Amino acid sequence: MGVMLRYLTSKLKYLKLVNQYYATNQKNQAPSQDEKTPTSLTQNLTTNLEILNGFIGNNFDLVIRKFTFGEHRQTNAALVYLNGMTDQTMINESILKPLLFESVPNSNPASNHSVIEMITMTMLSVAEIKKRTLIQDIVEGYLSGETILLVDGSPEALVIMTSDWKSRSITDPKTESVVRGPREGFIENLLTNTTLIRRKIKSSDLVFESMKIGERTKTTVCIAYIKDIANPLLIEEIKRRLKDIKTDSILESGIVEQYIEDAPFSIFSTIANTEKPDLAAAKILEGRAAILVDGTPFVLTVPMVFIESFQSSEDYYSRPYFASIIRMFRYLAYMLSILAPATYVALTTYHQELIPTALLFSMSAAQEGVPFPVLVEALGMGVIFEILREAGVRLPRPVGQAVSIVGALVIGESAVSAGLIGAPMVIVVALTAIASFVVPAQTDSGGILRAIFTVLAGFSGGFGIMVGLIGVSIHLASLRSFGTPYLSPLAPLSVPDLKDTFIRAPLWAMITRPRTIGWHDPKRQEFRLKPGPPSEEDASSN
Amino acid sequence: MKLEKGEISSSQLMLLVGSFLQGGLLSLSFAYAISRQDTWLAVLAALFIGLLFALVYIALANRFPGKTLMQINDLIFGPFLGKLVSIQYLYLFISSLSVYLWFIGDFVLTYLMPETPIILIMIMFSLLCAYAVRQGIEVIARICFIAIIVTSLVILITFALLIKDMKYTYFLPIFEVPIGELIQSTHIIMHVSFSEVLVFLMVIPYMNKPKQTKKSVLLGMLIGGLGLLTATIRNIAALGPLSAIVTSPSLESVRLIDIGKVITRLEVLVAMAQILLLFIITSVLYYAVVLGIAQITKLRSYKPLVLPIGIFAITLSLISYESSMQLRYSTRYITPIFTVWFYFILPLLSLLVAKLRKLPK
Repeated sequence: MGVMLRYLTSKLKYLKLVNQYYATNQKNQAPSQDEKTPTSLTQNLTTNLEILNGFIGNNFDLVIRKFTFGEHRQTNAALVYLNGMTDQTMINESILKPLLFESVPNSNPASNHSVIEMITMTMLSVAEIKKRTLIQDIVEGYLSGETILLVDGSPEALVIMTSDWKSRSITDPKTESVVRGPREGFIENLLTNTTLIRRKIKSSDLVFESMKIGERTKTTVCIAYIKDIANPLLIEEIKRRLKDIKTDSILESGIVEQYIEDAPFSIFSTIANTEKPDLAAAKILEGRAAILVDGTPFVLTVPMVFIESFQSSEDYYSRPYFASIIRMFRYLAYMLSILAPATYVALTTYHQELIPTALLFSMSAAQEGVPFPVLVEALGMGVIFEILREAGVRLPRPVGQAVSIVGALVIGESAVSAGLIGAPMVIVVALTAIASFVVPAQTDSGGILRAIFTVLAGFSGGFGIMVGLIGVSIHLASLRSFGTPYLSPLAPLSVPDLKDTFIRAPLWAMITRPRTIGWHDPKRQEFRLKPGPPSEEDASSN
Repeated sequence: MKLEKGEISSSQLMLLVGSFLQGGLLSLSFAYAISRQDTWLAVLAALFIGLLFALVYIALANRFPGKTLMQINDLIFGPFLGKLVSIQYLYLFISSLSVYLWFIGDFVLTYLMPETPIILIMIMFSLLCAYAVRQGIEVIARICFIAIIVTSLVILITFALLIKDMKYTYFLPIFEVPIGELIQSTHIIMHVSFSEVLVFLMVIPYMNKPKQTKKSVLLGMLIGGLGLLTATIRNIAALGPLSAIVTSPSLESVRLIDIGKVITRLEVLVAMAQILLLFIITSVLYYAVVLGIAQITKLRSYKPLVLPIGIFAITLSLISYESSMQLRYSTRYITPIFTVWFYFILPLLSLLVAKLRKLPK
């Protein structure tokens, strides 16, 4: 009942807003609905060009190239394309040249219809050619860089695949650097990105399903998954949510993420992103689905679980002991990054008895003469750190160095010697800052949690921290990402999945895929893959 | 319309029961003063009697699968008398809830924040529980996994680290405590810990495999009971006669840990575990009260009740007890007597009536 009422009120508010605008701007509103707009091409070339012009308008990058061809130059034709989005050489060499300098074989003026057929079959040396009659299809093709060939007397147009625009070359990803592992990263071009994944997984079961989202941007969004590993319900759900996006623009995968995520009010992101093709391929191979958006190097993967933030692609490329220890340190660093200032505040404000006596002496000596309470100090340093970080990210590199010098020297060194803040506080904040970069996927939620915990600790000490921790646990336990509990495999517990949670088991021991994600086809590899020298039995049998 | 949409698995129920019982760690201190060095015997006895009680509750739950305690009452005693019985149970749950709210307030005041008003701690804590209750039993059950891991580790680690401080002579003489006092201590432990498994009659219907109820509840009780037993043995062996005097033997005994001045002050861990366990207990009781009221009054959702009930419980606990000494007295000498009606007589009566009326038809 309440849900329905809330829906109705929000709908009414929306209608009121929209109608207000249209009531005042009634004259400006284009009466496009009433006017009769042609939906398909006619036989006449000039009318066709006029129709197209009506849709496309006066764009400076629009090129209409009229010409005549045929044995006696009897047929009028026109090429329509967008300058800059098309391959000029290809148009010149593979379309115009054969049409102008070679005669149409067997051209039969009686049946104009076959002229277009003949052109496709015998003259154009382009791989992908489509025949279209609907204006909408033609305009769409033209806007994505294809060349339209209109021939007089034919109600069909050829949409020739000539799109080619400048894109960045494949470089190593800026956000996820590795010591060991492939150095290539996704780029802005969707087709290159799908190729990068396809090159890792050469399986016919790898499916790329695409759709266009955004009423104005018409961005291609592509779902990648492996047919017999991914849960079909998951794919259905992704498609349903993507189809429900009715907005005018999709400019980055982050926008798609915000329209399809499960918990829009949560500070935790329930959709993972990556810039690395090997990581995306690994996730697809575990039964997840990747969502690639044209125009961005960031690929989304769903479903996401919390522990995914602590896994790195390098864990699997290095040997298990080291990988496990590093992973433990990541958990530790995350806890430090959200709890260190809070713990310091709680200890110095309420629980001094927990600090070893010698340390307590030196800490209170450092704190002596500092005018602010520890909570104010912690919050202030937190704010300064966030500002410094943001400035360091945005500024051009040469200026960035200046910022770090100002930050390190002026705020760190001088503030302590001037007695504005205690030296231990600087140490705590610096530790927190470094620790927060260890788990990049949770950096944004970590900053918010850190502030909350610090305030809680300032007002109610250790009890406040504990209350905060339990509260965050409740919240995490209640989250779901596309049907998968966010805290799995911990809660609900799934013992076989623990092999890749706190430790990273040897690769030959990871026989099954994660239960909660890829249980559709659990078997990842054969049972006996443990390497080693040939055993006695093998030797004797040989 | 179903009030609770979540489902819990049998292992989750087991962990829920286990951590619920381990939460008795704090309230066990009421028994130390009475049975002194024989408290571990009382815990053991209470565990066995508790298992027997649990069999009665499970029989009741298995007779009416998918029905909560309130619905079972309606079926057994009829709509009017059944409501009367349900209200009695609700009274029991809400009074336990208020006692636990007082516990947490008292615990935090004594050991962590001596100068904070108790109501502030209660409000923070009940807001936390309210959040959990609003998310449903599924979420509470998921947190239990974390809780039981943390608390079991804490108990095991502290036990291992305290071994060098333990004196086994503290257990002697065994059976020196008069049998009457031993029974009284057992009764108190039953009252504060094991018999509260009754509240799980509100949770069991939401299990996805009803056939495994018996196994998971009994196993959970064993886990919880063994945790309590380990902690009791640790406390007596480490503290000796002191355990009968201090307010929280667990905390005091862990305070003794000092290994080369490196591993010290571990009582923080115990305090953290204690808060976590009290949270689980309070949330389950809170959930039972809220769900029970919603079922009696036939509401479509229990969520609007969560905050008002929380406020009510805080108020109840503030007017029921003025000091922790009052609470100690009443938990030792008053409440154990009259809760026999709820924990023992009423469930047994329900089972008998159900058998006589040959329910369910």
